[in-house]
Amino acid sequence: MPAFTIALKDLRLLLRDPRSAVILLLMPLVLILVLGLSLGDAFGNNPDDRLQVSVVVEDAGLPSKVVAREPIQEKPTGALLGSVSYAAPMARLHPPTKRWVDVMLDDLKDTGNIKIEIIPSRAEAERLVKRGQRSAVIVFEPEFSQKIDRCSFVGAEFRPNPISPLDRYGVVTDRVGVTVIENPYQPIGGSVVKQVTQVSLMRVIVPWMIGGAFDLIGKPLFMKKMEGYIPGFSFLPADMRASVGLGIRKGIAAFFGDYDFTALTWYGLTKDAPPDVKAKNTAEYTPPPTGLGRGAKKYQILVPSYTVTFAFFLVLTVGWLFVAERRHGTMVRLRAAPITRGQILLGKLLPCFAVSAIQGFALLLFGKLIFGMSFGAEPWLIVPVVLSTSFAAVGLAMFVAGLARTETQVAVYGTLLVLLLAGLSGSMMPRELMPEWMRSLSYVTPHAWALDAYEQLLHPDSPAIDWATVGTSCGVLCAFGLAFSLLAWWWMNLE
Amino acid sequence: MAESILELTGIRKSYGRTEALAGVSLAVQPGELFGLLGPNGAGKTTLLAILAGLSGPSSGDVKLFGQPFGPAARSARHLVGLATQDLAIYPELTARENLRFFGRLYGLRGANLNARIDEMLETVELKDRADHRAGTFSGGMKRRLNLAVGLVHRPELLLLDEPTTGVDPQSRNHIFERVRALNAAGLTVIYTSHYMEEVQALCPRIGILDHGKMIACDSRETLLSRLDTVLTLTMAQPTDDWLASAKTLPGATSAEWIDGYLRVGSTDAAPLLPKLLAMGAMPTAIEVKAPTLENVFLSLTGRALRD
Repeated sequence: MPAFTIALKDLRLLLRDPRSAVILLLMPLVLILVLGLSLGDAFGNNPDDRLQVSVVVEDAGLPSKVVAREPIQEKPTGALLGSVSYAAPMARLHPPTKRWVDVMLDDLKDTGNIKIEIIPSRAEAERLVKRGQRSAVIVFEPEFSQKIDRCSFVGAEFRPNPISPLDRYGVVTDRVGVTVIENPYQPIGGSVVKQVTQVSLMRVIVPWMIGGAFDLIGKPLFMKKMEGYIPGFSFLPADMRASVGLGIRKGIAAFFGDYDFTALTWYGLTKDAPPDVKAKNTAEYTPPPTGLGRGAKKYQILVPSYTVTFAFFLVLTVGWLFVAERRHGTMVRLRAAPITRGQILLGKLLPCFAVSAIQGFALLLFGKLIFGMSFGAEPWLIVPVVLSTSFAAVGLAMFVAGLARTETQVAVYGTLLVLLLAGLSGSMMPRELMPEWMRSLSYVTPHAWALDAYEQLLHPDSPAIDWATVGTSCGVLCAFGLAFSLLAWWWMNLE
Repeated sequence: MAESILELTGIRKSYGRTEALAGVSLAVQPGELFGLLGPNGAGKTTLLAILAGLSGPSSGDVKLFGQPFGPAARSARHLVGLATQDLAIYPELTARENLRFFGRLYGLRGANLNARIDEMLETVELKDRADHRAGTFSGGMKRRLNLAVGLVHRPELLLLDEPTTGVDPQSRNHIFERVRALNAAGLTVIYTSHYMEEVQALCPRIGILDHGKMIACDSRETLLSRLDTVLTLTMAQPTDDWLASAKTLPGATSAEWIDGYLRVGSTDAAPLLPKLLAMGAMPTAIEVKAPTLENVFLSLTGRALRD
């Protein structure tokens, strides 16, 4: 088997050539390490994750006597009237175990595309924001529950010590015990968090204030107030006044039939069902990584990206192999030997494929061992991706080796080509950052297909592997390898 | 006469408009040590490439052991060994690894291959450096290894292209002796070199190639006999009559007076000298210079510089 004889010889030469080890293994590891240390933790997070809302909970809740208080009303004068409880239902909103901040967090968790992260302390939050690791953090201060509890549309005439939390812009956060710590250098992220806070506060506070106000309708205090506006109303007997009060209350409820003013929650107010997405939208807080930041998501991108990029640096190694064969005069001996051109090319292709595959597996393994990269749910599927990527890389390398005649040509043309392909493909930066047309263009490179497959396999949040994507990627990579190999076969001049 | 091991008939080879070989015919007999000479650009490299099966002629026939031979005749490749002018060894491999690799390419395996590797290392006296990388060798050692690589598969015909370029006298002498010994053992050798004295000393039959044509191909003695032996006498200037008489002496082909020397050309100088002395020549010094291959080569190819 002359091809294997040549392959073994070339494998021995490659293993003895320190340039190959430096280019194929050391350089990508160093680049991953440097970029990993340089890039922030936000790098590698997908857009959904970037809408993460970080909060600090300092809310002390309501004093027990307030939680256990009686409904804000005089003695009950009636039972239920239709679906409207005449008795004020405020006590049911915040049982002793539930703080207003928990209501607020429930609302945030019910919101799609938002993840809640609880930061353990304001000091930690300030440190994260200062370092740029969070664009903004919402702090629910110790008096948050007490202040929300006092929010009211009605004044002190109807309930003690009320707070009016609204102005022309929405909820005035200072009035309800909410602070947003912002990083001045990440204004967009801060604005998003503030808007999210506003919307959620509105959804929590407004039903509470409506419920509180509606609860007063028909009550003696309300009826007393009406005396000033309805002539002769004060002359009605008490039981008739109570009936009129209940009638007004029922009438208003019927008039706004699409809403339940007594619900005290937004979905109750709008007579909608709450979404069940709390678990999905809750994220455990993990302290920011120190040192290498093993296991950070950025390595899920950096390691496969540079594994793919440097797979194609095989162009240099293979080119140098061919040039050296000519420079040492040994190509003449190979051609004079009783072997075919095909055996010579196969003998060259096999060790390069082996080296490329070893490189691919080694870099991914180093990625796991050094950088804590996850192999995903189906690690075995990495094997066909690595092998098909190697085949594409070897094919391209053989083609370039057929074009270049000197070491300088290999170095210049090879490096230029590899960097160009890496830049086009999105290996050097996340493709999410590329414009749409560039993303489409990236698929002219084998790199992009390999990255597609790795994205499916290595993404820790991927709900399920898309087998079609992985299979298509492997198939296209093999097609690239075959096409490049055929071109090399056609173009290669061994003389 | 034995059947030719190699027979070329009307070989032509063109590269575009350039005709590198213009109808070369040659027959090399088994066991022969044939010298091939030619100035730069004469077509030697092209001819050797055809002999090694690296390229085919544009027209003409090449027969090796009576069978057509060319790039497609791979089964016959093992009959030919090649030691190129440019070293053709892997500097990153040891001497043994180089021999093993090329031996394997030619189908040698196992104990047979190992024995042959040891034999070759012994032959080129590299046994003590067998496991050192060839890149660390001196020029002479690399040349010897290059020769061994060309021989490892036991070829019947060895093509040696400038095998002593850039080596020290010891290695050169060693290569000489090896070539002689191999030839004596029955190996047919085609030897090309720019060193005329090497070819003259080694090769009983020599071909001279120029402008793609074999302008001379004969035994060494016949080629040398193309030029006269020159008898040079240092003496007083003779008269014109005396010079004219000297030219007519039997065996003399020329006689001329040049800057204090009488230079007489002759096919056989020995009987001529007594006759010149008898004519009254009184030389203070006598020099007899037989023709060399270089003289023949220059007389055939001219003294003009070649690219």
